[in-house]
Amino acid sequence: MKKFAFFPGCLIPARHPAMEFAIRKTLPKLGIEIVDLHGTSCCPDPIYFKSKDKLNWLSVAARNLCIAEAQGLDVFTNCSGCTATLSETYHLLENPVLRDRVNRRLARIGMEYRGTSRVRHIATLVRDEAGYEKIRETVTRPLEGLKVAIHYGCHLLKPSNIMQVDNPDNPEVLERMVEALGATPVRHRNWYLCCGKACQTEEIPVNMMRDLLGTVSDEHADILGMICPTCFGQFDFGQMKISKLFDEDFSTPPVYYFQLLAFAQGVPYEKLGFDRQRYRPECLRRWQEETAEV
Amino acid sequence: MAGKSDRDRPVRVDFAFRRELAEKIEGNLASFCYQCGACVGDCPAMTYSDTFNPREIMLKVLYGLGDELVSEGSVIWQCTNCYNCSERCPQQVKPVEVIISLKNMLADRGMYPDAVKRIITTFEETGRTVPYTSALERQREAFGLPPLEPVPMDEIRKLFEPDEGEEGE
Repeated sequence: MKKFAFFPGCLIPARHPAMEFAIRKTLPKLGIEIVDLHGTSCCPDPIYFKSKDKLNWLSVAARNLCIAEAQGLDVFTNCSGCTATLSETYHLLENPVLRDRVNRRLARIGMEYRGTSRVRHIATLVRDEAGYEKIRETVTRPLEGLKVAIHYGCHLLKPSNIMQVDNPDNPEVLERMVEALGATPVRHRNWYLCCGKACQTEEIPVNMMRDLLGTVSDEHADILGMICPTCFGQFDFGQMKISKLFDEDFSTPPVYYFQLLAFAQGVPYEKLGFDRQRYRPECLRRWQEETAEV
Repeated sequence: MAGKSDRDRPVRVDFAFRRELAEKIEGNLASFCYQCGACVGDCPAMTYSDTFNPREIMLKVLYGLGDELVSEGSVIWQCTNCYNCSERCPQQVKPVEVIISLKNMLADRGMYPDAVKRIITTFEETGRTVPYTSALERQREAFGLPPLEPVPMDEIRKLFEPDEGEEGE
């Protein structure tokens, strides 16, 4: 098994432990061994703390990368925001002047950033280290007939020269990963829109989410496949809020990709923590009951 | 944009503002902007707001109109941080990063929205942006996940001390 250092960040371990559970269940089956890191902090987040002081933000991010470097491993994250911060740090610190400046700070705590640990998003880790075929091999109950609308979110793909995940104008990684589960991916018309979570006004995110949820709803998909925990919140709690606000009947349950993978690998519906969601993927529970009867 | 009476006056470039911005990491990138407007078409904030326009923000930076950008209720907080502008810019200006540098200037003056301040404070106190509660610990336990380890905040705080000999950082 190939070993990779796991950087779980804040949002998944501290708000969506079901997602972390699913990651730890599914990756070993794909031949990826998770190595936990000790002493890491928030990545820090690429929206709020970065807005306060970009040099402090870089220094903390570099410290997190140093912890992975000490293990001699590449690091992977499960959150698009963490990937954005750590990948951008890796990129910016290729500049020797900036690296030197950050290293003078890290020297205060006996650390040195060397740039030896590559940063990978969990989706690319699975794509590049295991491959779609390997995913297919681990699936014990192919999700045939399940229609999955896809939402990429912004930070998985952009800035593309730094993230190096996929073509930001026509990506395919999530579609292919969903196909590997036996399900049918569909691209909703506003797939390119942002979830608006980072925006500090009311008007923009609510109207944007209304348009987004509208095109998701138009697809009549069974679920919405998600890869970003921030977007997930916007599509779960946020979907309820927007439906009430605009008197709309939006109700496509969002499901984090690795929970869906765990389900397809045979983890029972009840163990996957879907009961905590505002919109539960009841279709998966029914599907499980129906296939059990056959 | 400025009112009619302001428009009648000649533009005065606030060079102190431009110097301060240029000291921020990637703050000087707007200098390469030639106002083509490629950043506008795919900007979701621009689509849903009457007041946000990344090209206009870059122009104000070039003109040194610091007061309009670094002030209470600044329009820059409407940015969704989606990076479309950065993708589209032919000059690699990264308008979103210039906007983040402007936010750093606002933060230096203690001017950020309450929601932003709350998350920053949580991070500075605990090393995480999401508070860790006992309810969450029980949830993690139910999934067979280990408790989250405390973040060594003494180390994080040492990183925040200003650079030696580089005053006002």
